[in-house]
Amino acid sequence: MTDTKNHSVDRVAGSLEGRVFRPASFAELAEAVELAFDYRGDVTIALKSGESLVGYLFNRQVSGSESSLELFPSDSSIAQKIRYDQIATIAFTGEDTATGKSWETWISKKESERRAEVERVAADAKARGIL
Amino acid sequence: MAVPISQMFTVAKYVLTQKVNRVKRYPLVLMLEPLFRCNLACAGCGKIQYPDHVLDKRLTPEECWAAAEECGAPIVSIPGGEPMIHPEMASIVSGLVAQQRYVYLCTNAILMERKLDEYQPSKYLTFSVHMDGLKDEHDLAVCRDGVYDVAVKAIKAALKRGHRVTTNTTLFDDANPERMRKFFDAMMELGVEGMMVSPGYSYQKAPDQQHFLKRERTRELFSRILGSPKKGWQFNQSPLFLDFLMGRREYECTPWGNPTYNVFGWQKPCYLLQEGYAKTFRELMESTEWDRYGTGRNEKCADCMVHCGYEASAVEDTFGTLSGFGRTVKLTMSPTSR
Repeated sequence: MTDTKNHSVDRVAGSLEGRVFRPASFAELAEAVELAFDYRGDVTIALKSGESLVGYLFNRQVSGSESSLELFPSDSSIAQKIRYDQIATIAFTGEDTATGKSWETWISKKESERRAEVERVAADAKARGIL
Repeated sequence: MAVPISQMFTVAKYVLTQKVNRVKRYPLVLMLEPLFRCNLACAGCGKIQYPDHVLDKRLTPEECWAAAEECGAPIVSIPGGEPMIHPEMASIVSGLVAQQRYVYLCTNAILMERKLDEYQPSKYLTFSVHMDGLKDEHDLAVCRDGVYDVAVKAIKAALKRGHRVTTNTTLFDDANPERMRKFFDAMMELGVEGMMVSPGYSYQKAPDQQHFLKRERTRELFSRILGSPKKGWQFNQSPLFLDFLMGRREYECTPWGNPTYNVFGWQKPCYLLQEGYAKTFRELMESTEWDRYGTGRNEKCADCMVHCGYEASAVEDTFGTLSGFGRTVKLTMSPTSR
């Protein structure tokens, strides 16, 4: 399927963030929806009508021509149902909230604290002549 | 005995009624998630990674009460997110208590002490405080210094007011058995009614992917921690589930035992996997392909031994087999006989 893989300068490494999928068949569309369902950020769905919806895709039901997805729009609390055959493109436009940045930030802080502790113990051991 | 007789009787009566009515799949604990927003960002958590407008969504009290009625489980566990962030949480709890459901309000306790006035002590309400070990381990697990001390203070305040309090511990691969045993001592000294333990689940979206427990390691770890329990330890869960964690009994997952309802609907198939959502509890039970889930059936379930999948299996064993019933009675009366 056509997508903008490698084209986005803002894309997060290992994430779908920034990619745009233009499915050419039902199978490709179903695959793109599955990726969007698994994505922990907002997506932008462009409809064949020209309309565009931004929101979190939280559910989908694959059932041939009746297939549909459900999306919580970012500016409304009412879930929207969209039939697959209305969809032109799916873009992963929202921040991927599962990239693990918070853990990395935290772990680097703790690692520095642990390193200082190790150095203190090492200095003590050297002073005692056991290292 | 960690669980009050009235609660044990209610659960036993409920399970036996299902059996008499030949109900094959029935819920035991409703996992009610009124919001995903949390005031912590624990490394092992895969529940809170959503855009802000989703984190801002909340179930209304009416939606929570309706879900409990629809599901019918005698116990409602309220995880999240952090439930005490929800401004109407006390109202939600009070409505569930009015339905005579045993409510476990799962909290990291950061807001607990300042909100205690909103809750009436009741045999139906238990504060289930998330504690992942002694101070160092807990603060490390929740990625914030000082949380252990805040939680201990809140537990003391709640106990002083006559509330039921339990602890809820998730263990990861780096757990130290001796430190965990000291942690259990410390919690019992605090005066909590009982403790709950479970291995962590390897959420695909959790930041820390290195420390989730594999099955063999889980059995080894729990055997070292629980193999020779101390006399004073009380666990607020099925003794057969603890046997399972130690590799002394084998169970298949019972994912319908702990159904989940949240801002997206009824989660298929369980609290830990998101395969889609059903609009109603009945639709969840009828449309989920239950046989596709569980260890050996689904790669996402390969190493899962989490209580939400297997505690109900242990309860089923208690009421479904003579050996299970006998062992449950024995371990309930004499926990150190293990």
